[in-house]
Amino acid sequence: MSRALRLALLLIVIGCAYLFQAHPYWFPGGASANSVSIDRQFRIAFRVFGTLFIVGHLVLIFVLSKKPRADGKVSEGSWRLEATWTLVVTIIFFWFNISGERLWSSMMPAEKQPGEIEVEVTGAQFQWYFRYPGADGVFGRTDAQKFAKPDEGNPLGIDPGDPAGRDDILSTSMIVPVGHSVHLHLRAQDVIHSLFIPAMRFKQDTVPGMEIHSHFTPTQVGNYEIACAELCGMGHYRMRAVVRVVSEDDFQRWLRARTWPQ
Amino acid sequence: MPIISDRVEVERKPRLGGGGPGKIPHRRGFGGGDDGDHGNSGDFRSREQRMRRYRVGMTLCIISVTAIFVLLTMVYVLRMGKGRFDEDAHRWVRDWIPLSLPYLQLWTNSLVLLLSSLTLELARRSMAKKEEFAAMGIVPPRFKRDLPWLGITVFLGFCFLAGQVLVWNILRAQGAFLASNPSRSLFYILTGTHAVHLVGGLVALLYAVAGRLLATKFESQRIAVEVTGWYWHYLAFLWFGIFALVHFARG
Amino acid sequence: MSSSVRSKNSRRMTPSYLFSTDHKAIGRAYFFLSLAAVLAGAWLSLLMRIHLVWPHAEIPFLGEIKPENYLAQLTMHGTLMVFFVLSTVPQAGFGTFFLPLQLGASNMAFPRLTAVGFWTALVSLFVLMAAFIVPGGASSAGWTQYPPLSALASAGPGQGLGTDLWLVSIGLFCLSSLMSAVGFVATTVRHRAPGMTWLRMPLTCWSWFVTSLLILLAFGILLAAVVLLMLDRHAGTSFFIPGGLLVSGKAIAHAGGSPLMWQHLFWFFGHPEVYIAILPAMGVTSHLLSVFARKPVFGYKAMVGATLAIGALGFMVWGHHMFVSGMNPYAGFAFSTLTTAIAVPSAIKTFNWVATLYGGRIRYATPLLFSAGFVSLFITGGLTGPILAQPALDTYLHDTYFVVAHFHLIMAMAGVFAIFSATYFWFPKMFGRMMNETLGRWHFWITLLGAYATFMPMHLLGIAGHPRRYSELSGVQYVAAMAPLQKFVTLAAIVTLVGQLIFLVNLFWSMFKGPAAKANPWECSTLEWTLNSPAPVEGFGDRRPQVNHGPYEYNVSLAEKDFVMQDAAAS
Repeated sequence: MSRALRLALLLIVIGCAYLFQAHPYWFPGGASANSVSIDRQFRIAFRVFGTLFIVGHLVLIFVLSKKPRADGKVSEGSWRLEATWTLVVTIIFFWFNISGERLWSSMMPAEKQPGEIEVEVTGAQFQWYFRYPGADGVFGRTDAQKFAKPDEGNPLGIDPGDPAGRDDILSTSMIVPVGHSVHLHLRAQDVIHSLFIPAMRFKQDTVPGMEIHSHFTPTQVGNYEIACAELCGMGHYRMRAVVRVVSEDDFQRWLRARTWPQ
Repeated sequence: MPIISDRVEVERKPRLGGGGPGKIPHRRGFGGGDDGDHGNSGDFRSREQRMRRYRVGMTLCIISVTAIFVLLTMVYVLRMGKGRFDEDAHRWVRDWIPLSLPYLQLWTNSLVLLLSSLTLELARRSMAKKEEFAAMGIVPPRFKRDLPWLGITVFLGFCFLAGQVLVWNILRAQGAFLASNPSRSLFYILTGTHAVHLVGGLVALLYAVAGRLLATKFESQRIAVEVTGWYWHYLAFLWFGIFALVHFARG
Repeated sequence: MSSSVRSKNSRRMTPSYLFSTDHKAIGRAYFFLSLAAVLAGAWLSLLMRIHLVWPHAEIPFLGEIKPENYLAQLTMHGTLMVFFVLSTVPQAGFGTFFLPLQLGASNMAFPRLTAVGFWTALVSLFVLMAAFIVPGGASSAGWTQYPPLSALASAGPGQGLGTDLWLVSIGLFCLSSLMSAVGFVATTVRHRAPGMTWLRMPLTCWSWFVTSLLILLAFGILLAAVVLLMLDRHAGTSFFIPGGLLVSGKAIAHAGGSPLMWQHLFWFFGHPEVYIAILPAMGVTSHLLSVFARKPVFGYKAMVGATLAIGALGFMVWGHHMFVSGMNPYAGFAFSTLTTAIAVPSAIKTFNWVATLYGGRIRYATPLLFSAGFVSLFITGGLTGPILAQPALDTYLHDTYFVVAHFHLIMAMAGVFAIFSATYFWFPKMFGRMMNETLGRWHFWITLLGAYATFMPMHLLGIAGHPRRYSELSGVQYVAAMAPLQKFVTLAAIVTLVGQLIFLVNLFWSMFKGPAAKANPWECSTLEWTLNSPAPVEGFGDRRPQVNHGPYEYNVSLAEKDFVMQDAAAS
């Protein structure tokens, strides 16, 4: 029985290690400025904790195969050992924690920088809306309860009386230029949603009643899928949108073409 | 840690039918536990154990109730401070409307509750004294003061509840309903939760008062009064905490 | 009449048995309540797994599963498993039965309160299950019930009466847990047998004690939060519902509430809840590893300290569920560090378990196998914890299958393994018969390999960005591409779940036909084994156990046996 248990544990270790080594599914290619450092941290994490997983199980297997001492003596505990392994895991865990805190502080959402592309993201059951402030650089005021008419092309309820809203551009996919920092204003109209762009290593809940600010910098041209990552109701699974990262020229052309006629 | 020895819950017979009082031949007066230490009726230690057990239980209840009120206080403070940025006015606005409290009624209620705490303490002490006589095996002199104190406490408890209902009616007459503003919601919730807990204490006191009718043993009455006493003082303390909160943090 | 005969009679389902205040009857009743809940919860998970990979499969009697059914199943699966299984059977089930016996008391401190606690839990379960048959079906907002989804009936099917029932059920469950916990703490503080000092308590008792303290603080908070949410739903208050909402084309009149406040309140309960589920499991594992390795627990005091540390730190880490919620990002630093801190006592426990096995004369009975499985799963599931504790990495992994894999391995599977080991171990004391070892071993192999086969691949799904709580894979293209691995997971889950039939057969067959158990079949030193099997109704009766020994005095060289009962005469 001992041998069978050790064999099973060994099989599990080999199977899991193989699964992660072969990894039929893995991170989508990173396409944002942050993805490089996040992916590096992930690599460190999987190496460190993968090693601990393997070592931990090998120790367990070794311990199960260890014969009792001939003189029959056993240990009831040892403060020296306790202190040693407490110190070792504390060092490993906190070293990893501090490296993560540094990464987090480098990613911290900053104040809006000049020259950032501003996009307002609104989650509604079960659709993402992306709004650009247009030529004046100011978002029009919205009041979903008063003005929202999805059938008439105003799902967000932009106030028709607000001049700043006249040139706002509304889109169902996010079009952003490559290499520019994108400043997001995240909102929700009904329940909590979560804007998840795997390729950008970006995720942020959109909470009704709050405007959350966040940012990312796309570094590669291409189309990237957005998924909703917070349970928002029946259509949660199909609340999909696309980020289209285009060249600077294409972006300006798109902005001009989509600007509402004055 | 002292060595603790007790066997309060010894069951001689398979009492599968549950342990209500009355399963065991009941003797009026003193002695005999109702849920276990029968047969050791002369053993005062075990009665003492039972009292201690209930005290521990009450302490735990108080800890748990405290957690609830700490949470409600946090919600109160957070909800009061919460505002939203009004884009039109370009400033932070709060939706908290300060409540104009009926202070006269509230102070009256506080006084009533404080008094009831006092009378309950008197009731508790006289019962403790009685128990000492019992411990010495002396049938105690009949204290005329005993039950009235308890009865007065119950009466004052009901007065406090009625006073709280009055407070709520005054507020309702002002148009301050549960849903009209978070300050109202939280006032009703804090006072309402306090009242619900007080009702629990009243039920325990009524059990002690009605002891004669229900043929409850003195010991059970004594325990009910003792631990409800703790609880009652705690609720009085809590009440002043709530009063201070809604007064000093009106918003 | 001998006690064993009487106990056999007592197992007849007579009204007097049903309304008993005997802690053993209540403990057994909790066991069966959880068994019913786990069967329902497992059945729901089976339906979900099938729907996920074969969305148009016709389930017998139920037909095709619609997205809202999937979400209702998901919510109920989580609720049943977290509340009615993982927080019920290791604590209220085995705890109510064995805490007094291990301490040398003959009943809980407040037997009637404990009994009322059980009946409240039963009513709570019925209220929860009733949600399946009301219009709109069960709640579909997940077991965390984030408002506004959970606060507005118009936000989806199941958000009407189904959610009300959910809230009522959880409110009742809070009351039930509080009642039960008061009895646990009072019993531990007041009813230890003479000589049973705090440091002679078995580690099971320690973990039940600390868990009860957590329950006293955490469940009161959940109760208050549930009441506030109920008021938001029906009394027009606005604690969790912000202004300006437009749901299904309808304007919502509430204003000024904060959805984040619910998350703070919920997780302030919810994280201690995780430890409420796992601490008793840890206690059982520590206990069983020592019994079956025939060695004292390695570092008993360190284990006690780690249990207390986990209990205390458990209240300070709730924010790690909220890194992407819109909470102030600076809070992420503190919660990340505190979460890393709580990993340390958990690691200490793991080291001590391994060291307890080291050099022992290990008896490979089924309870040991499951305990060893617990250690393995705890290592595997635990090591993804520090990864998820980092805000930067959690930003990517939050609400993906990586998290699902993490908590299913460390909380669900590890917890269930401890429940299984406790069942195989204490079955003789609870029912007077032995469970079948051969079936037990088969059950173990299938469950161990099945658990890994089901949950390890989920890490990869999460790494590839598969969000959780998706009722279908077709909605997002990169998710649809993961269908083959999802299919593998479903097949593994089906095999694992079918394997549990072995356990059910073993359980019920052994209950009636198993070989009669001796008083102390495992040669265990704690007080419950001084009694006959099954534990007689009168408990210790007139005998007052005098405790003279620690709980884990194994591997001593006596002439006839290698252990010292706790109540053996002092040497």
